[in-house]
Amino acid sequence: MKSFLQRLPLLGLLIGTTLMLTSCAPKRDRVLHIYIWSDYLADGLVEEFAAANDCEVVIDYYDSNEVLYAKIKGGATGYDLVFPSSYFVRMMAEEGLLQRLNHNNIPNIKNIDPLFVGRVSIDKKMVHSIPYMTGATGIAYRKDEVEDFEPSWRVFERTDLAGRMTLLDDPREVLGAALMVLGHSLNTTNENHIEAAADLVIEWKQNIAQFASEANKAGIASKEFYVVQAWGGDIQQIINENGDENLVFALPEEGFPMWEDTMAIPTGADNVELAEKFINFLHDPVIAARNIEFNSYLCPNWAAYNHLSEETLENPIVIIPKELLGRGKQIQDVREHLAKYTAAWDRVKSAN
Amino acid sequence: MLVLGFFYLPIAMLFAQSFNAAKFGGQWTGFSLRWYDELWRREDIHQAAWNTLLIATISTTASVVLGVLAAWCIHRFRTRAQRIHYGLVYAPLVVPDILMGLSLLFLFINIGLSLSLTTIIIAHTTFCMSYVALVMLGRLQDFDESMIEAARDLGANWPTIIRRILLPLLGPGLAAGALLAFTLSIDDFVITFLVSGPGNTTLPVQIFSMMRRSSPQVINALSVIFMTVTFILVILSQRLTRPQS
Repeated sequence: MKSFLQRLPLLGLLIGTTLMLTSCAPKRDRVLHIYIWSDYLADGLVEEFAAANDCEVVIDYYDSNEVLYAKIKGGATGYDLVFPSSYFVRMMAEEGLLQRLNHNNIPNIKNIDPLFVGRVSIDKKMVHSIPYMTGATGIAYRKDEVEDFEPSWRVFERTDLAGRMTLLDDPREVLGAALMVLGHSLNTTNENHIEAAADLVIEWKQNIAQFASEANKAGIASKEFYVVQAWGGDIQQIINENGDENLVFALPEEGFPMWEDTMAIPTGADNVELAEKFINFLHDPVIAARNIEFNSYLCPNWAAYNHLSEETLENPIVIIPKELLGRGKQIQDVREHLAKYTAAWDRVKSAN
Repeated sequence: MLVLGFFYLPIAMLFAQSFNAAKFGGQWTGFSLRWYDELWRREDIHQAAWNTLLIATISTTASVVLGVLAAWCIHRFRTRAQRIHYGLVYAPLVVPDILMGLSLLFLFINIGLSLSLTTIIIAHTTFCMSYVALVMLGRLQDFDESMIEAARDLGANWPTIIRRILLPLLGPGLAAGALLAFTLSIDDFVITFLVSGPGNTTLPVQIFSMMRRSSPQVINALSVIFMTVTFILVILSQRLTRPQS
């Protein structure tokens, strides 16, 4: 008991010091509040920006668009710059949560690949959002185990690879691949197209080991699987870790789903000027190149390609060739029609 | 045994994995402290840890003061109003976190209080207070009030009574309540997530947001440290609530 009493003053001291420290914390007028996915900015970038603009940068992280949306929609103010995926931008803009961007204050916008914005982006005029990073869903395969590989989703029809292949466990990705094979849009709302795609996937299902969005990574690394439908970023991680030369990533010729993360300024932003400067900074060719190398994703910034290493330029996961880029399509929110996809997916999952 | 296995096996796995050299869990490729080293260099995590401790310290202090006062009133005055008071103190324990977080968020927005460390501290104090009050009530029920009367008969004044009787007898309950409040505060995710403003990330929120993109191993290492601290505090608080022999 005595020891507890003896420690009381110590506790008081601790609390006192804490309070003092917080009240004396250095305060700067110019603070940029960023809300971003974790590990998404190359090391040192933020410090350089802060030094160049004599401001403080405070960063918070989220792990899904839903979290970002909940936070902004819930009335959290004070974030100056957010990084929503493009399909969330439309919804957020419609609800008045995002500001219109003033392109005059973001001169580096001229570096952004017009082909990407024109063909792939959803916000094609960059009214509310500017592209930050993009990547594709494709097919990863083992060069040492698969003969005569053709870059096509039809690889899942090959019976000689039966039991050695996986598809993602994601209705829009898998039905999207089948829709593209059939020559339809992967955002179609036509029930017949979706059902035909489901029939095709059921055919593929005979040859695959399982639907897997996580187990496909370890599986292809350990040669349990030879062909997997996968997100490029995941395959890049395995290659970085294992240095596996037989693991190859290919983009199917029928087309492939792409994702896009963007930069946008919320309506209640305190410091629009700094947010615009930061967007401009991230599209500076040298900075964008550093971000590409760091993330192994593509920042669709033409001028940046001159500053990339040979290795990155030759990496098909990062650099999507011009002739293929136009075949990338984004999975978009189909709203009430999603039920059709869900029903088709249920049929796929329960089929034998 | 089986139940205990379910409780502690995942924790043991996490503990082991945090020392695994491989970047993606699963295969054991050797003992390594590289994740702890990486953790050491991540300044955003340090900031989050600092926020967490700051919030926990202040809200514990506030909730101990308020909780003890509440418990004392409920114990001392057995009126109808105090029975209602008891109900009100008890309620935050059973209200789901998500409802509490949302209602606090709406309150803060409606009264125009911008989200910051202050709002997190207010929120944490709100739910921690109830726990402190209930722990203290338990202690007070065992407390023999005739001792105070006896002391006063023998000429002790209030400061002496507080120092010589109240603190020694109620001190453990006080400390247990405080530790419980502290633990709850550093562990809380749902409420903190809802009422935090820019730049106020706490450790649980940080861990959650790192799940998708960061290396899982850094999160393992962080979780191990985090859990160790929590465990120590829980054990301490159990020691203090143990009935005196």
